[in-house]
Amino acid sequence: MRDRREPEKLEQRIRIERDGTVTALSGKIDFGQGLRTAFAQIVADELDVPIERVHVVLGDTDQVPFDFGTFGSHSVAQEAPLLRKAAAFARRQLLDRASAKLGLTEDKLDTAAGAVVAGGKRVPYVELLDSEPLAGTVPDDVSLMPDQRRKYTGRSMPHLEARDIVTGRATFVADIRLPGMARGAMVRPPARGAKLRSLDDTAAKAMPGVIAVVRDGDVVGVVAEREDQARAAAAAVDADWHAIPVEGPTAEVPMRSDANVDEKLRAASVRLTQTYVLPPIASAPIGPSAAVADVRGYGATMYVGTHRPFGVRDQIAKTLGLPEKKVRVLPQITSGTYGRNSAADAAIEAAILSKGSGRPVLLQWTREEEFAWSPSRPEAVLEIAAGLNVDGGIVAWRYDEHTNVHTAAGLDPQVLGVTSGRNAIPPYAEFPARVTLHIEPTRLRTANFRSLAAAENVFAIESFMDELAGVSAQDPLAFRLRHITDKRFRRVVEHVAERSGWGERPGGRRGRGIACTVYHGTYVAQVAEVEVSLSGAVRLVKVWCVVDPGETVNPEGVRNQIEGGIQQSASWALKEELLHRDGRVMNTGWDTYPIATFRDAPESIEVFVEGDESAAPTGVGEPGAVPTAAAIANAVFAASGARLRSVPLTRERVRKAMPG
Amino acid sequence: MKLALTVNGERRDIDVPPNASLLSVLRDDLGLTGTRYGCGRGQCGACYVLADNRAVASCLLTADQAARMEITTVEGLANGADLHPVQQAFVDEDALQCGYCTSGMVISAVALLARDPKPDETSIRDALAGNLCRCGVYGRAIRAIQKAASPA
Repeated sequence: MRDRREPEKLEQRIRIERDGTVTALSGKIDFGQGLRTAFAQIVADELDVPIERVHVVLGDTDQVPFDFGTFGSHSVAQEAPLLRKAAAFARRQLLDRASAKLGLTEDKLDTAAGAVVAGGKRVPYVELLDSEPLAGTVPDDVSLMPDQRRKYTGRSMPHLEARDIVTGRATFVADIRLPGMARGAMVRPPARGAKLRSLDDTAAKAMPGVIAVVRDGDVVGVVAEREDQARAAAAAVDADWHAIPVEGPTAEVPMRSDANVDEKLRAASVRLTQTYVLPPIASAPIGPSAAVADVRGYGATMYVGTHRPFGVRDQIAKTLGLPEKKVRVLPQITSGTYGRNSAADAAIEAAILSKGSGRPVLLQWTREEEFAWSPSRPEAVLEIAAGLNVDGGIVAWRYDEHTNVHTAAGLDPQVLGVTSGRNAIPPYAEFPARVTLHIEPTRLRTANFRSLAAAENVFAIESFMDELAGVSAQDPLAFRLRHITDKRFRRVVEHVAERSGWGERPGGRRGRGIACTVYHGTYVAQVAEVEVSLSGAVRLVKVWCVVDPGETVNPEGVRNQIEGGIQQSASWALKEELLHRDGRVMNTGWDTYPIATFRDAPESIEVFVEGDESAAPTGVGEPGAVPTAAAIANAVFAASGARLRSVPLTRERVRKAMPG
Repeated sequence: MKLALTVNGERRDIDVPPNASLLSVLRDDLGLTGTRYGCGRGQCGACYVLADNRAVASCLLTADQAARMEITTVEGLANGADLHPVQQAFVDEDALQCGYCTSGMVISAVALLARDPKPDETSIRDALAGNLCRCGVYGRAIRAIQKAASPA
């Protein structure tokens, strides 16, 4: 991973505009996680301006500092301190300038609502810019606004974009309209990696509205005046493909290798071995991929949805044979894609179509294309063996994670460990353990997915913790607590038990299950209540969640993210499985790949945000989704006696696993 | 073919290919991009509009069929700066994340409240069962619609 981050320059972070508004710049991207809102809260407070005047620019490669990308719920953790310091430094400079201008020492000066104030005098920030914009290297030790003067940070705020979204004014990628813009449609091969043998575009070229049939290597598409014309012509292109099977890589990564694990397992008074299985699933964004490319002789402007604008800039430059500086990437708001947008597929295709047709081109993927050609979450098979001593404490742990590669970031063992091996090491107090990650080949295109491998690993580990508690006649909550030493972890687990009334038995055909984890510094514990019908149908009734993400910028924003993670993860666990053969996805529509609907939503998801305010902020976009599957599976066991080690928890599977 | 549509209370004259979908006409000929493309098969709800006060998938309706109806899109719900109560409730409850499905949800909710001003929770779930949301704001959206139905 390269790190080109340079010393923080104020001019790349904060601009006071002539109209008195403030522009805050970040290379991070908001897909609905509320980053724009959190960043505006921080800057408004530190610079002492009303939040309505703060305009947050995310990811414009001509304006923002280089950023590797938006992954793994790091954004607030990484950016909050940088933006806060930059804004504080801007305020410092404004106070210095006001001091010189007014001939007053700084102890006589303060700021309020976008102005420096001194006694009865009020000098708006814009009047202090003169001809010189604020600039300079942001010092590390700049003093920050005291907590009691913060008006926005720590308070709940709806998404800043909410009004534009509910009125339909928000401009998503596919809503960009440029003068002369045409529409694209791709000609798809039978399977990924296929090579083009020959192409006959005579019929397609003669169809109404067609501007060009573009071919660049094995990429083929049509540009037409209207979208339906482009699609009709793409279907009329006669392409002959040579299928070449593509397989993902193989690797083995020892993640932890304590001594004598096998001996300790053999010597344990109780041993348990189980295997957990998860199928591949789709990111399944509601908005399929789209991109607008405006490629001219002198450069290219790209309107895209992406996690990593600078990465896309480099890929587009390479595709078009342009220097990086000639490509501007303007990230637009986009449908949530939960990791899928790490790949710049539509952007690269749109750039090729624009270059080949000489027109700005909007390429909108269809629903079928989105399912068929997107990268997916890999399947996983998790084998766990553990031994308990006579007191029921864990004395040895062996864990083998078999999965496919989770990112395109290469096969560096360290990278594999934190991506495909994420959360494979249990968060519990040290016991001798051997944890091995086995990357196995697949023909399915797999890549970044919300929480990477954590949701799979935590499903296995937290289901297994329940099973270990079961074989040693311990309460699942007590069994976890005896293996937790970290105070913050302990607190979220104890609190979720209190909040949910753990120990009460819901009765009837209902049961409750608990699961917890630590995801990149965020502590999260959940209790799920389910109802299991006689025939095995599972209904998620309620979920309680306690989360500690450290310092909390926007509590309501955190709740929203965690609720969403739980809802999405419940859908993965109860409904979803991607079917594929020879690298080709078979279920490419909502009818064959159903996800949770309004009717499936639980009666309540209660999220308690209990951040340790003395700890640095950590991410919340992913952690909520991580323990849910295990909490549900554990609840199904409590309700029905059916222990499910495979998801999704379909009616047939649950019925079959019911005792008696 | 030449058609006259009534969209958001205005007559709009268009000249589009036969069988052009209402969705494509709204987005590409009338500049009303608040109605979103999601699946093209009426399975996700992202493209819902009000057609004679009923929520329908604009991807399944041809512009020709729509010419006989009063069409309202998400852009036509607010009264100047005053949001429709459903829109306001979605903002107040922060009942959105990425917002891609929001237009369709708002349309379904407006149609529901027009025929049933005090729906119970089951009616809300049923009325919005065709609106898929991947970010998972179902619970918030239910609360927002309840709030819009009985303003405090």
